[in-house]
Amino acid sequence: MKQGRKAFEVMLPLIVFCLLLGGSLTGFAQSSGQIDVSGVVVDESNEPLIGVSIRIDGTSLGTTTNIDGEYSIKGIAKDATLIFSYVGMNPQKEQVKGRTKIDVVLTTDATMLNEVVAIGYGTVKKSDLTGSVTSVKPEAITTTPSNSVEGLLQGRAAGLSVNNSSQDPGAGSTVRIRGASSLNGSNSPLVVVDGFPLGDAGDLKQINPADIVGIEILKDASASAIYGSRGANGVIMITTKKAKESKTIVNIRQQITLSQKSTKLDLWRDPVLMASLNNEGRINGGLDPLYVGKVNSTGIYYPSIEELMTTWDINTRWDEITLRDLPVSNNTTVAVQSSNEKTNFALSANYYTDQGLFINDDYKKYGYHLSVEHQLFSNFKIRVMNILSRNVRDNNSGLAYWRNPIFPVYDENGDYYLTNSQDYEHPVAITEHRKQQSKGIDVISSGTLDWQIIPQLNLTTQLNYKYGSSISDKYYPKKYTEAGTFSNGQAQIDNWQGQNLVSETFANYNQDFDKHSLSAMAGFSYETYTERSSGLTARNFVNETLGNENMGAGNPEQNSLSNGKLDTKLVSYMGRVNYTFDNRYLATVTFRADGSSKFGKNNKWAYFPSGAISWKAHQEEFISRLGIFNELKFRASYGVSGNQGISAYQTLSRYGTEKYYNNGSWVTTIGPGYVSGWTGQGGINRVWSGIPNPDLKWESTQQFDFGIDMGFFNNRLRIGFDAYIKKTKDLLRQRNLAPSSGYDRMWVNDGNIENRGVELSIDGIILSTPEWRLNGTLIMSHNKNKITNLGNTLESGLIEDPMTGMLFEYSGNSYEKYRDYINILAIGQPMNVFYGYKVDGIVQTLDEGIRAGLDGEYAQPGEFKYVDLNGDGSITEADKTIIGDPNPDLTMSLQLNLGWRNWDLGVFFNGEFGKDVYNTKAFGEPSNQPLRWTIDNPTNKYPSLRDGRQSMVSDWWVEDGSFLRIQTLTLGYTFNFKNSWICDKIRLYANVSNLYTFSKFKGYDPEVGLNGVYTGGYPRLRKWTFGVDFTF
Amino acid sequence: MGGMAIMLSSCNLDETPYGFYSEDNFYKTEADAEAAVNYAYGCMNFLEYSRSIFFLGDMPTEALTTKSDATMDNQDINNWKVSNFKTNKTLENFFKYSFIGINRANAVIKNIPKCNFSQDIKDQYLGEAYFLRAYNYFSLVRNFGLVPMHNSVVETLDQTSAPLASDIDELYDLILGDCRKAADLMPVYDAPRLGRADKVAAKALAAKAYLYVASAKEHGVKLYRDMRRDTEEMYDSAAYFANQVITEQHVYGFEPNLLDIYDVEKANGPEHIFMMAMDRSGTSEGEFSKISKMFIPYIDGATIYLKQGDSEEFIPSHDGWGEYQTTQAFYNSFEDNDKRKTHLICDKVYNANGEVSAKYPDNFQYPFSRKYIDPKFSGDKTSTRPFLIRFSDVALIYAEAAGPTAQSYQLVNYIRNRAGLSDLQPNLSMTDFREAVYKERGFELSHEGDRMYDIRRWNRIGEIPEARGMSEDDITFYPIPQAEINLNGSLR
Repeated sequence: MKQGRKAFEVMLPLIVFCLLLGGSLTGFAQSSGQIDVSGVVVDESNEPLIGVSIRIDGTSLGTTTNIDGEYSIKGIAKDATLIFSYVGMNPQKEQVKGRTKIDVVLTTDATMLNEVVAIGYGTVKKSDLTGSVTSVKPEAITTTPSNSVEGLLQGRAAGLSVNNSSQDPGAGSTVRIRGASSLNGSNSPLVVVDGFPLGDAGDLKQINPADIVGIEILKDASASAIYGSRGANGVIMITTKKAKESKTIVNIRQQITLSQKSTKLDLWRDPVLMASLNNEGRINGGLDPLYVGKVNSTGIYYPSIEELMTTWDINTRWDEITLRDLPVSNNTTVAVQSSNEKTNFALSANYYTDQGLFINDDYKKYGYHLSVEHQLFSNFKIRVMNILSRNVRDNNSGLAYWRNPIFPVYDENGDYYLTNSQDYEHPVAITEHRKQQSKGIDVISSGTLDWQIIPQLNLTTQLNYKYGSSISDKYYPKKYTEAGTFSNGQAQIDNWQGQNLVSETFANYNQDFDKHSLSAMAGFSYETYTERSSGLTARNFVNETLGNENMGAGNPEQNSLSNGKLDTKLVSYMGRVNYTFDNRYLATVTFRADGSSKFGKNNKWAYFPSGAISWKAHQEEFISRLGIFNELKFRASYGVSGNQGISAYQTLSRYGTEKYYNNGSWVTTIGPGYVSGWTGQGGINRVWSGIPNPDLKWESTQQFDFGIDMGFFNNRLRIGFDAYIKKTKDLLRQRNLAPSSGYDRMWVNDGNIENRGVELSIDGIILSTPEWRLNGTLIMSHNKNKITNLGNTLESGLIEDPMTGMLFEYSGNSYEKYRDYINILAIGQPMNVFYGYKVDGIVQTLDEGIRAGLDGEYAQPGEFKYVDLNGDGSITEADKTIIGDPNPDLTMSLQLNLGWRNWDLGVFFNGEFGKDVYNTKAFGEPSNQPLRWTIDNPTNKYPSLRDGRQSMVSDWWVEDGSFLRIQTLTLGYTFNFKNSWICDKIRLYANVSNLYTFSKFKGYDPEVGLNGVYTGGYPRLRKWTFGVDFTF
Repeated sequence: MGGMAIMLSSCNLDETPYGFYSEDNFYKTEADAEAAVNYAYGCMNFLEYSRSIFFLGDMPTEALTTKSDATMDNQDINNWKVSNFKTNKTLENFFKYSFIGINRANAVIKNIPKCNFSQDIKDQYLGEAYFLRAYNYFSLVRNFGLVPMHNSVVETLDQTSAPLASDIDELYDLILGDCRKAADLMPVYDAPRLGRADKVAAKALAAKAYLYVASAKEHGVKLYRDMRRDTEEMYDSAAYFANQVITEQHVYGFEPNLLDIYDVEKANGPEHIFMMAMDRSGTSEGEFSKISKMFIPYIDGATIYLKQGDSEEFIPSHDGWGEYQTTQAFYNSFEDNDKRKTHLICDKVYNANGEVSAKYPDNFQYPFSRKYIDPKFSGDKTSTRPFLIRFSDVALIYAEAAGPTAQSYQLVNYIRNRAGLSDLQPNLSMTDFREAVYKERGFELSHEGDRMYDIRRWNRIGEIPEARGMSEDDITFYPIPQAEINLNGSLR
């Protein structure tokens, strides 16, 4: 064993680092004249500090304090200097000068300026940051349970926008840093966990938020360009727990969450009103009324209004059948950590369940996180991190809770009451017979070797591996579901597996001399990603009892199989130099070269430089003399980063496969061109692709950032300000090809987007007495997004607005309600503005309608009075114009924390202002149908009820979507037990999220997807969480 | 540490395709080559193309109309709204899918010579590719006049923009040259192979193309009237190739029973020189056909039954959507005892017991063609297939090209007798005879996507009521789609 270790000690440097450093090993010897030092570290109130790091200056050697704040270091030089550091405290240097007992009092650092933050391939002291980096304290956000940490980051950092429009259990979030800069590539920031670049932010379900100790948001190019072709959307750096305290600490954290709907459901409670309005709508539309006490064409009896008023006794409360009264979620985390002088570890296990609002709509996740660090030699550390997480999702969302209340659940025979053979909405039938389950396993694992070659030079090698797999089981029965009816029973099994291997090696060099301080990093990285999938579908089952358990029982002629694989590689070299002169002038230069397999063979390599300068003006005599600023720092940065967010193989020529009935039997056919999508009305026209583009490359974003950091009143008031311009060019787009080529589209780089914005954050410690504490953080961001170029007009197929000459294309989906698109991408406009007609009230007389340029049924009283904008006497496509912008002008949040003795109270407001929402439910719902236009109620606000009306996209549906939400309110109490052998600390708290939303928006909730189109869904859930933390 | 070893050893960033074919891993074996040939046939089956056969070939004529709520693009074709033709999606799709077929054929022509297998099979596949290229260019030139010339497969962005043919002769050089090559390379099959063309098909296509040029030049059709080719020589060539089809093989011939031509179970019958190959056992539209739904009107959603000619047999079918509607004028233009009216155009439908359940005009709006009926339909899926080249078509080509010869009379009279009509008036002049054949074609090939092209080559578009009074420029050809003009750099 000992021999093996010896061999290892020799081999390691030889094999590995010689390669990198060309054998320039520097020896390290222990100096003579050694002594042993011990002591106690306490805070200002004389409380012992546990886990204070004590390091011998110029080395990586050191120790930490134990539970009583005691430490001891053996065999150090008499003239050594010890550095005591602790999170949240000002570090302190003590020269040993032969002393054997050194007691230290550390003072609180209100600013955390000495805290180190992760910036990618290294760390830097917060006070020495030259780029725009925001840190988020995880303690502030984990009182609200969440499947993934992103959802909790909403409103927590200036410039970071998080959209939680889906509330289904296990749903992710949409994350943007400083706006969207891509149309077809990804707009999500890169997530890096403990140095491991995992991928797009939005659904980091593998990491239990309770295991996170640090979150850094890298926003400007100087900070994010170190991640090169994946840095353009910003980077979220996440650091997970490592043990730091020398005693064994056990932490149990338990949260129970009860959810309730924050607004009432918009449903018919009065069948008489529903039926009479329905009859009115049908009569106005020239159809026979339904509720006349007759059987309709599909054999369903609709009672007459009189019957409904008198004898009809069915009024099914579908919402009570399909929705849970009080969905319950549970989140339990048990964590153990411990360390001794050589080894420390942190282990946690998590069990999380989340019930959706719909019955049988569930999510379950369990996992563990383990981090072990061992000091192999005095200058050599190894660290292993391992995360395993397993999740199960039973998806039963989207049930028809709005089903007609006159329909019973069961008919007289006890069968499901179906309105016709194609009634695919019966929620109970679907719940009981359909299967939609998916199970996933995720593993994240990394091993790190950390070698302090000489005091100034550190070498790190990290090998990361991520594995994710999912299997989904589905069965759609012959009756009750559309897919099942079409296929006479359809069973599916879909498999997916993704593997990510990243190997990174980098060296950090630090050298101070005189007033100069230099640190440099150089490294390289190699990454492979492999994804495999397969899908089995069987159809036509004689007996359905097994669901998808025996796919072989389907009709083999109707089976379908699919499988796929993709491989990508990324090779990178990166470097960074930080230089500081006199602790006043700072400069950072970074560089990264990325070679990606995804791009065309003529453009495999991309280069991303950045630079930043910073001036700590408060260090200047003439500023400090003013006595105003504790900190006054100016920052400026410029850099280029990229986005490679397209899928693999887009640059290769690609053939398609089809089937052909060749002289009486089916054969597979193969040749140039494949169907890459569908287009046209009803999506029945194929889109042909397959022409290679050897020039295809990354999107590149140039960003300029200017920032000021200020501290006043002994840093009790801190203000941070940033302004930026982000210009993205070479947008990845699909250009159209001439029909005679036999192809429709190919990927090219064409088009520009610009984002400009300002960010402001104000932190204040308003009150700080032994009994009372009050502090607050106000964050405001403004981002203006603008499309400046969409490429060659003809090749892009852009449409010209005849009135303004504005060039645009439709984006997103065509909405059935309007048979039209709502969003457009227009040059000179922000992404996804709404495009449609203007409406000037309601037509009151036929004459008025005709004078307004309307004709036919559109000119009738009670119709929308569309505006003839171009004044040509008729309402045509040419009268469409921009009618709304879903992008907020301002996002703002405010966190206030009040503490009194052991009590703490926190409230968090979050809001978006100056944004429009397109409310497709503004008319036609139970709440607004009764407000309709009638001859007796000639309102100008709502149209008449008329079945068969083809509504056009218009500003009538656009509402102010500004809102201010009391996002969370937390009340907690902490018990501290000194010297108790059972328990050190217990914290009890109650938290309510989505307590109240102030908004003029008439739908359930104005927080809709980024395209600003509201399509209903269900009310936002107000979640009551009760939590307890035990620390032993 | 292992990662570093990987890192140092591997910096190759080239992609290797997985799960899809490309030029690198294809065209190796005979099976590959056949898959590539079938790929070239297959693009005709997509509904973007197969439905256009009738939208372009019958809808603009007087014979066919569409329902009032049909897609605007299709109504525009019916009504000759030429101002909208440049952006008409139906026309653009036909244009595009013809070129997709050409590109797929070009890929075969380029790659098969490199493969290593028997020369006979290679010749057959190459011949089929030449045939398909000729077929698609013939479709294009008839509808659009001068079109871009893609003589080789498109593999790079630069190659996606090809210039227009300099004149109509250039297009026919290619079409006729390909037909001759195809005829030389391909064998005659022992029995008709559904969905595949052979030597006979190539000769039939040549005859069709020669006749088109001859009559179009004779009737002074724009562009054709300036052709270098000699009219009489073209008629002779048409007659020559048609005669070869008629006399120099024993696989194809007249189907004696009129109804059997349209029996989906008899797709390998002697009439069918070249037809599409859909089958109801397919899983997506294109693999199976819904052409039946396009011709049959909506009745009540239930199964309907159709009387089999004069027999007491009834065959079932679904009803349809009424997109291709026979006009009353065309229905009335048949002689009353013409079986192609009485047996192939339905004014009554029956129930399972053979009782009339609905009839024209009381219960449905138009008498419908029943050339596309699949009694074994499954839901919307059928094996109904557009007929592309029939033996009777070639017989009539011969007659029109050769004029009033004894053989011509024999062929025309066979077709007339089969339809229950008497012989054609003997001793007609060349002009009257050709006129009579022109008329006969209208009845024999009705609802088969062919009539519009006869009208075009006879320069009689101006006689269609909706097109009356329009300029020659507007009606002789459909315009090149606007998308092509916008995106083809060599047209700007």
